[in-house]
Amino acid sequence: MTTTNENETEWIQLAREGDQAAFGRLVGAYQTPVYNLAYRMLGNAAEAEEAAQETFLRAYKYLHSYDPKRPFSSWLLSIASNYCIDRLRRRRITWLPFQDELAAPVHVTSSPGNPEAIVERHEQKEEIQRLLEALSPTDRAAVTLRYWYDYSYEEIAENLDLTVSAIKSRLYRARRTLADMMEGGTDNAL
Amino acid sequence: MRCEQAGEMMSERLDGRLNSAAIGLLDAHLTECTACRAEWQRLQALDSLLSSAPLVRAPLRLRVQVMSRLERRDQARRTIVGGAALALGTIALALLVWAPAILGLLDVTGMAPALLSGGPETVAQLLAFLETTGRAALVLVEQFAIPLAFLSLCGLGTALALNTLWVGAVWRTRALQ
Repeated sequence: MTTTNENETEWIQLAREGDQAAFGRLVGAYQTPVYNLAYRMLGNAAEAEEAAQETFLRAYKYLHSYDPKRPFSSWLLSIASNYCIDRLRRRRITWLPFQDELAAPVHVTSSPGNPEAIVERHEQKEEIQRLLEALSPTDRAAVTLRYWYDYSYEEIAENLDLTVSAIKSRLYRARRTLADMMEGGTDNAL
Repeated sequence: MRCEQAGEMMSERLDGRLNSAAIGLLDAHLTECTACRAEWQRLQALDSLLSSAPLVRAPLRLRVQVMSRLERRDQARRTIVGGAALALGTIALALLVWAPAILGLLDVTGMAPALLSGGPETVAQLLAFLETTGRAALVLVEQFAIPLAFLSLCGLGTALALNTLWVGAVWRTRALQ
C-alpha cells in the first residue's frame, strides 16, 4: 500500500488545524480506494457512496487521533472496513435481498473499450459481488484487503484487529467458500 | 501431508507466503492426491478472477458531497455553540440582576429553610453559606445607606460587562475554528 508522502503529510497537518480545503485534497486522493472497499463490502453503489462519505466524515472528526507513523491509507481503510462490517451486521437484522440491490444501476468504470468488453466487465463485477456476498463481513473485508489493496497478512490482521494466524485460516476458509460458489454458479449456468 | 494442511498451504502459496521447500512438499502432495489437485485448480481459477478485477472508481460527486456535509456539520455545531453561549449569557445576566430580589423573596415567604432541609447536606451548607454572605452584604448596604436602585444599576452594569466579555470570548473561539 502507498506510504504517506510529503504533500499528504502537509495536507494532514493542515486538516488537523481545521483547513477543510486541505482535507478536500485528501478526500480527492483517497476517494476511489475508500469507495472501492465500501462497494466490495456492501455490494451496491448507493450504500457504498454513503459509507465512503461517512468514512471521510469520521476521519475528519478523529484526525487528531491519527498516528503519523502509520500510513494514512491504512488508517483510513481501517475506518472504512470497520464501518462496513458494522453496517453489514446491522443489515442482517433488516435483511435486504442482495440480488434486488444489484439490479440498481451500478457505476461502471469509464475506461475505453467496446460495448462487449464493457458488458463483460460489468458481468464480472456482478459475479464477484455475488461471490463476496457468501462471506461473513470480516472474511469479506479480509479478502477485499488482500486482493484489491495487496495487504500482507500482518496488515490485514492490524486492520481487522485479529491475529495473523486467524487471517491465514479466514482467507483459506473464504477461498474455499468462494470456489464452491463459483463452481455452483458455473454449474447453474451450464 | 494431510489434505487439510495442503489446503491451507495452497491458500498461502497464492499469497506468496510459501518458501521453496514448502512449495516442493505441496507439489509432491498434489502429484499424489487427485482431490487436492482439483482443489488447487479451483483456487487458482478463483485467484485469477479476483486478481483481474480492477478498483471500482468513486463517483465524481463524492468529494463535493463529503465537503458539503462537512460544512453543514460545522454550521450546525457553530449554531449550537452560539445558542448555548447566548443562553448562558442571558441566564447569567438574569441571575445577577434578580438575585437580590429572589433572595429577599425567599426570605420573606420562608421558602429558603424548607428548600434547604430537603437537599443533600453539602448543598444545604453551601446555600447556607451563600445566604449568610448575602445577608452580610445586605447589612453592609444598609449600614452605608446605599439606595437599592443604585445597587441594581451596579448589578446590571456588571452583568452587561460580563455578558459582553463572554460574547467576545465566544466570537474569538469561533474565529480560531
